[in-house]
Amino acid sequence: MSFANQLFTRLRRKLGIDTLPEKYTYAQDPRFGKVSASRVADRWVKTTCGYCSVGCGMEVGVKYGKAVAVRGNENHPVNRGKLCPKGLSEHHTLTAPGRARQPLLRKEGRLVPVSWDEALDTMVGKFGSIQQKYGRQSLGVIGTGQLVTEEFYTLGKLVQLGFGTSNFDGNTTLCMASAVSGYKLSFGSDGPPGSYADMETADVILLIGANIADNHPILCQRLERNKRRTLIVVDPRVTKTAMMADIHLPVKPRSDIALINGIAHVLVREGLIDREYIAAHTNGYEEFAEYVSTFHPEYVAKVTGLNEETILTTARLYGKAKAAFIGWTMGVNHSTQGAVTVAAINNLSLITGNIGRAGASPFSITGQCNAMGTRESGFTSSLPGYRKFDVPADRQELAEIWKIDVERIPTVRGLTYPDIIEGAVAGKIKAMWIIATNPVVSFPNYDVLQQALNSLEFLVVQDGFYPTPTCDFADLVLPAAIWGEKEGTYTNSERRIGKVNAIVAPPGEARTDFDIFLDIAERLGVRGELYPGWQTSHDAFLEWQQVSKGRMCDYSPFTWRQIEEEGGAQWGGERLYQDGVFPNQDGRARLHCVPCEPFTEQPNDEFPIILNTGRTVEHWHTRTKTAQVDLLNTMVPHAWLEMNPIDAERLQLKPHDKVTVISRRSRVPNLELRITGIVAPGQAFMPFHFSEHNSNLVTLGAFDPISREPNFKQSAVRVERTAFTVFEHVSQITKATGRDAATQ
Amino acid sequence: MALPLHERAFTADAGALVRLTTDASDFAPESIFNLVAAASVLEWPPIPKPSLIPKRALEEGEQYRFHFNMTKCIGCRSCEIACNEQNGNPAEIHWRRFGEIEGGAWPDTQRSYLSMGCNHCLDAECVKGCPVEAYTKDPATGIVLHSADACIGCQYCVWNCPYSVPQFNPERGVVGKCDMCHGRLEDGLEPACVNACPESAIEIEIVNMAEWRKNYAGAESPGMPAAGVTISTTRITLPESGALQLERVDLGHIQPEHAHLSLVFMTTLMQAVSGALIFELLDKTISAITLFALVLIASVALSVSAMHLGRPAYAWRALKMWRRSWISREVLLYSLFFAGLGALTGLSVAGSLPASHLRSFMIALPPMHLLLLPASLHAVGWTAAALGVGGTVCSAYIYLVPARPAWNMIHTPLDFLLTTALLGSLLASVLQAAGGWVASLACAHSLCFPHPTVSFPIYPVLLSAALWSLNQIVRRVRLRLSRLFERRASASLLGTESLQAILFASFALVGVATFFTLARLDAVACLTAMIAVLLTRYLFFVSVVPLNMALTFVRGGRH
Repeated sequence: MSFANQLFTRLRRKLGIDTLPEKYTYAQDPRFGKVSASRVADRWVKTTCGYCSVGCGMEVGVKYGKAVAVRGNENHPVNRGKLCPKGLSEHHTLTAPGRARQPLLRKEGRLVPVSWDEALDTMVGKFGSIQQKYGRQSLGVIGTGQLVTEEFYTLGKLVQLGFGTSNFDGNTTLCMASAVSGYKLSFGSDGPPGSYADMETADVILLIGANIADNHPILCQRLERNKRRTLIVVDPRVTKTAMMADIHLPVKPRSDIALINGIAHVLVREGLIDREYIAAHTNGYEEFAEYVSTFHPEYVAKVTGLNEETILTTARLYGKAKAAFIGWTMGVNHSTQGAVTVAAINNLSLITGNIGRAGASPFSITGQCNAMGTRESGFTSSLPGYRKFDVPADRQELAEIWKIDVERIPTVRGLTYPDIIEGAVAGKIKAMWIIATNPVVSFPNYDVLQQALNSLEFLVVQDGFYPTPTCDFADLVLPAAIWGEKEGTYTNSERRIGKVNAIVAPPGEARTDFDIFLDIAERLGVRGELYPGWQTSHDAFLEWQQVSKGRMCDYSPFTWRQIEEEGGAQWGGERLYQDGVFPNQDGRARLHCVPCEPFTEQPNDEFPIILNTGRTVEHWHTRTKTAQVDLLNTMVPHAWLEMNPIDAERLQLKPHDKVTVISRRSRVPNLELRITGIVAPGQAFMPFHFSEHNSNLVTLGAFDPISREPNFKQSAVRVERTAFTVFEHVSQITKATGRDAATQ
Repeated sequence: MALPLHERAFTADAGALVRLTTDASDFAPESIFNLVAAASVLEWPPIPKPSLIPKRALEEGEQYRFHFNMTKCIGCRSCEIACNEQNGNPAEIHWRRFGEIEGGAWPDTQRSYLSMGCNHCLDAECVKGCPVEAYTKDPATGIVLHSADACIGCQYCVWNCPYSVPQFNPERGVVGKCDMCHGRLEDGLEPACVNACPESAIEIEIVNMAEWRKNYAGAESPGMPAAGVTISTTRITLPESGALQLERVDLGHIQPEHAHLSLVFMTTLMQAVSGALIFELLDKTISAITLFALVLIASVALSVSAMHLGRPAYAWRALKMWRRSWISREVLLYSLFFAGLGALTGLSVAGSLPASHLRSFMIALPPMHLLLLPASLHAVGWTAAALGVGGTVCSAYIYLVPARPAWNMIHTPLDFLLTTALLGSLLASVLQAAGGWVASLACAHSLCFPHPTVSFPIYPVLLSAALWSLNQIVRRVRLRLSRLFERRASASLLGTESLQAILFASFALVGVATFFTLARLDAVACLTAMIAVLLTRYLFFVSVVPLNMALTFVRGGRH
């Protein structure tokens, strides 16, 4: 019967009698007007977007327990109803086929489904025996900026106090560690001083290594609204953002320190500085002025490849601005000199008094939706609440709140992300727990990472998606809930705490990270001690309020409800340091003398091209999410390599040729070649999102000595036409013929 | 429900007449005001949003249009996603599409983006070509509307639109396209793309149609086909590019088009059948047996062609717009041809059955008797043949569309007619021989048919084969040397490994067919020539490069 029915239905479709009118009909949504009936919701849940750190307010429509639509929240101060393509299609991530649904344990080489009990008992047992054998520090934990703050706070206690290892870091070290370190260098604490609103009031906006049109598109409307602004974009590539600029400064790779010092030089020389502010609020001006005196425009022009006139113009524009804003992202952070570059940027703001005022801020535009939350509540690079490991009073304060022996709190930070990986290679780290991140695609120099993961005795991967490339190495996979399935808060780039809500239930047996953490604590026997009476992530929030009280990132004035209703709340108010008092011991900010050094791997005859990596607006990170959204993935289904026509001609390459990028480490074959004036001669660019074309096979494993952030942006490579073996050639032709046949 | 921006004049003859009404905000749904009210309690006062839809009503001679401000677009593609979410379309169908154009040398490179839905043209080719009147240009708003209910999925609009706007949805069997979110406009809401754009780069404007027809330069943009073909109404504000030439970045991304195999077979077979009829008439060799074979082939061809439609069950609707659509005309004439061929066959069968009751019955009726006269048969035959050739000419006209430059050449009708001659002469000869064999076989079983035994001349085959090949060669050369990018791109496609092999094979097969003809192995010759034509026709469909807007460098899907 059902077969006959099916046949009948298929016949009706084939004959065109049935054109699926129900599926393609429109209906009236009471709030949003006529729309595809499939997008009409029963109820709308307010939440904050789970992709980047802009922190857009959105509403997710739910029908019959399923997320069916997303709308920008018109009243949200961050985005005022607008969303980028990823946000607009975010509900599809919740119904994605590639979600992790059940715990998987490796048995006889294969990952097989197991119960949560078996999974977590095995995990706690294995970690316990490894730690017993090799010491507590032999466990390394790598977290993420994808968890809600409440979860990350819970995780920190679990790792540091429960498992007793301080080798705990987040994927945020691949992202904004340099900004954190740079802020600490200058101001004595992390914390982006400004607000997005400053982009609307500044008269000069300097974006350094920040392609916001691709990476934070919703911030662009701030610039659009600011009619009197001069936008200066510093980027070696002619990015989409560079196209928005009034002045684009196409600097040579990693010459930004020279440019910044050069601007400072002109400001000092021409007296375009705020002497009063310098005298009242900074230290080290004399040495600084002396130091930048060597950065003559002539010299800076040579280093940056800009002409002197442009440098002078830029400096004067910045110096004469009533309010000047500097924003940066990964062009600055992804470097062995990232932390000091941030300090150099801060120098500019400090000597001109462009900080703590409307429109004036040195502003790190963060990456992940909750990278900021991990910075505040994390137990990684600092103690929760921006406390310091090496300050006894800070440790004491926490011990009292937590009612534990102060000796249990480490006095120094443990290994950072890259050092955990190197520790694994060296045999010091024997077990690892990776949470909601995908290092196989995101960590530089894959060869070393592969060695590290293969050296482990036990690897646990906890993720919302399965399989991810990192799962290939896992001994245990824990299925976790993702954005939209759990409740808590994210903090965006402008310190705005946003409420994140559970919209639907997690698929299969997947559980929230918070539940998983508590369950592990239970099995470790520390739940009662570390999380007394906790049931939901709100309990974590209440304790976090207490921990952050009186700190710079003080959550105590806000309730969850308030945060949700008011479209978020900024800790520290609209801007920090309005009084010019900085969290250094003497209350003053420090000016640093920042040398400009050549980047680590300089091109040579064998590897003549500098490879830059980055993003595209359609995708997020390693595509574990966006590859699951057909709409986004169809827009950009694979990676490409951008190369200047001059290099392409030299190499006799044509557009769409398949090329291989080769570095000292490895090679990425089969990249579609785009010959374009977007990149400079001698440089190439590829997106890092694609596991199929993994840019981190070739990137350099060099790290900032202060922030430990990798130098993703400059690797010496050569590019060749991808050579096919005879077999591959035949299979290519077969594929092409197959495609022709498919179009029939 | 009345449109909120104006009230539609309901009388049929009102045309573009609309009447001024009150301010648009009167019609905004209540919920919008609730939102505004809620916003007022926030610390952030709502920023007054620029109105992105017209504030006043349309007046006579005006219509709505898109304005795309290229200087504001940052290339975020939110409009594209918002469109798909609004319309619930599958991932590979984008009613609003996005493209890139680029020029200059680093660091003075200029990049700009195009975002385009439907251009709601003044002379919309989709409207004109549609055989079932699924398209209407809304008299009140000028929006080009498409009805999925009326559509039969012939996809002629896909071929006709210079912007490749209409897209076929295989799941539904019908085409779909941007309707400027007509439903949202009715509620006083801006279209989804306009609503989603964070930079307010897209808006809806009013355009005076007569003035725009006089000067539509504002619709021209790098990366867009010339606006004059259909007079696109979309206004595009271009960035100052000085002397820079902005070019499409997707020029190397040429993919073979859909092969439309059913049409490959239908056109080839119908041309062969109509040609064979002509040759049989010329050589006076029509017989019941050969005609029956022709009817059989034609019925297969026509049935196959219906399978080309997304909705074969509604193929009959294609007759509707014979006054303006070449598809309707093709369907009409081929149907009449088929009817004529059927009648001729019937009469011929009746006339060739000496003993049958039918024959005696017909002879008994005076007017029927006349029909069986050779002159009548001849008249019916030539009428059918004329209808067949007419159908083939209409068929060729279908492909003469400016939006597909490689088709829009004299070589298309020439190819169709020369194929008619080539395959017709061969098929007639083969059927004649086969008919003789069948007749003798039947006679051996004491069922004798009259079957003329005439040997067909071979010069028509040789001549038409030569001309057919010449036509193909000249077409190929002209494609390669053309000023039009799309024609050169077609030539390049034909030069790709797999297609070139097919091209060479088809020429070789025609040569082989000629050889077999000379050797009087007509059946083999006919088969070989048929394969050659089918291969060439396949190439004709897959190698056409349509006019389109600039798209992106890397992309998947079918857009």
